[in-house]
Amino acid sequence: MNSAYFLLKLFKLSWDSLKANIFRSFLTTLGIMIGTTTIIIVVALGEGAKRDIEAQYSNMSVTTILINAPSTAGEPSKLSVNDIPLVKTISTVADAVPMLTAKVNVSTSDNTTNFSVVGTYPDFAKVANLSLVSGEFFTQSDEDNHTKVAILGATVAEELFGTRDPKVIGETVILGKKEFEIIGIAKYKGGAFGPITIDESVFTPYSSSYRYVLGKNGKFSFNVNATDVNVLAQTMDSLTTILRESHNLGPGAPDDFRLRDMGATVASAQSSSQTMALLLGSVGFIVLLVGGIGIMNIMYVTVSERTKEIGIRKAIGAKDSHILTQFLFEAFILTLVGFTIGAVIAFGIYYLLLSMGLKIIFVWWSVPLSLVITFTVGMFFGYSPAKKAASLDPIDALRYE
Amino acid sequence: MVKKFFSEIKMNNQVISLEEIKKSYFIKDNEFSVLKGINFDIKKGEFVALMGPSGSGKSTLLNIIGALDKPTSGNYHIQNKLVSDLSSDQLADIRNQYIGFIFQNFNLISTLSSLENVALPSFYTGQQNYNRAKELLTMVGLGDKFNNKPNELSGGQRQRVAIARSLINNPEFILADEPTGNLDSITGKEIMDLVLSLNKKYGKTILMVTHDSNLAKLTHRIIYLKDGRITNKKSV
Repeated sequence: MNSAYFLLKLFKLSWDSLKANIFRSFLTTLGIMIGTTTIIIVVALGEGAKRDIEAQYSNMSVTTILINAPSTAGEPSKLSVNDIPLVKTISTVADAVPMLTAKVNVSTSDNTTNFSVVGTYPDFAKVANLSLVSGEFFTQSDEDNHTKVAILGATVAEELFGTRDPKVIGETVILGKKEFEIIGIAKYKGGAFGPITIDESVFTPYSSSYRYVLGKNGKFSFNVNATDVNVLAQTMDSLTTILRESHNLGPGAPDDFRLRDMGATVASAQSSSQTMALLLGSVGFIVLLVGGIGIMNIMYVTVSERTKEIGIRKAIGAKDSHILTQFLFEAFILTLVGFTIGAVIAFGIYYLLLSMGLKIIFVWWSVPLSLVITFTVGMFFGYSPAKKAASLDPIDALRYE
Repeated sequence: MVKKFFSEIKMNNQVISLEEIKKSYFIKDNEFSVLKGINFDIKKGEFVALMGPSGSGKSTLLNIIGALDKPTSGNYHIQNKLVSDLSSDQLADIRNQYIGFIFQNFNLISTLSSLENVALPSFYTGQQNYNRAKELLTMVGLGDKFNNKPNELSGGQRQRVAIARSLINNPEFILADEPTGNLDSITGKEIMDLVLSLNKKYGKTILMVTHDSNLAKLTHRIIYLKDGRITNKKSV
């Protein structure tokens, strides 16, 4: 006896009996379908969120401490660019750059757009690991002399000139109301650097941005890097002490600045996105579990409806294992079909969400993952009705009407 | 081994051999003895009727002979094979290859065509023998009903399908449980003629359970069962 051929025959038998009741089979497998779809979509959404967070913080190092003025009412913060030299005296501080930023009209004679102007120090290029496609970053002498020079972010260049690499060095860009000379175009970087998005910013010397463009409207913060991740806590303590001293805050007075440890921020953002994915993932799993119970229910109905048939089959020579296999195949087919349709629907939803601009990224292993879970659930719940069918006593089953 | 060999030689002409078959049921520690020691043989080519009132243990005996049930004690041989000791999988093989069943209520699978129903036992043997199924259906007079489902056939036609099915694996004997019990007298006679011809024309060994003594008289001999014992064996 060719057992593979025989299994194929049993498979066809199961297929035929499911086909004979196609609508019911469809309803039976609905739970499996939805569960599969949920798992694949949830994993893709989770991955999208994860990449989003990674991109947001990709330019930040774990040694970065972001210092800004809290946006609360009351005493205006004394946090200013004058704190920078003091901060730099701390031995565990590798570098410190200020960032004065606000959105202004950025225009040429042809185009007007709205982007952030960022006033900073020449060190910024190094700290943010910024490279240029053309021209060069401004120098300390530009800073000292309030030179009206600007470096355009990639997106700014693209919006103004239609390309990320325009040949516009030496040309003029109007920031707010003042004309600045374009001396460099930054390479596309993606992601954020603290409060700013590099590609959507125009960089100028701190002094010129304050004097000509932003003044008191600019939001001030600065970016400090510790020399090592191990001295991060120590550095934060030193920063607090020095800033409180410099701002003349007496004991008991609240800080007029806020320190943010980027490493902790990244970790907390990642863990919240993981929690979210886990939550949605368990929803998918529960849907599958309910789907499995659905399969079990309907299969029990099927077994009792077909008691007579099972009796006949056994009387003429079917073994318990034949009946078991036949009904397990039914659970298998229901699961397989449910999984396949569910996966197809998931791809439909995936492309729909993608076209709606949602951050969603397909992950290949979500398919085998949902396959494994789906089949574990399907076969687990399919087994007990199949076993019941297989162990029916042919004498009783034959008598059953 | 040697002993078994001789015992096989002794019975090689007997298709069915029952020795001291007993069957009891236990309900709440009370033993109910249904079969109290049944002994008989059926030889190859014999057509035997089994008669007995309800409650005589007829159904229980039939289940044991049909390898659907096991005796509490005693030996049951089909051909040379000791059946009473077999596992349930082995019993399934016995039912599949040694026994052809004809039931009172036909017991066809309603979702299968007559051809598929007839071929079904061969499916469990490993290979569906559709050619033989077609021959058998033609032999029982249903050469034009291969693709009809049972509900498209009359009672007599359904029983013909069942008879064709009982022959598909060329069994050692046919077990017919009141084959005409659900049929009107005219159709019943046609079916009985067919069953008789299986014995006469094809030499099939048949054990038939019946309530109808007129039908029983058409067989070679009648076994009467009463209160779990065989009361009288009558040769015709």
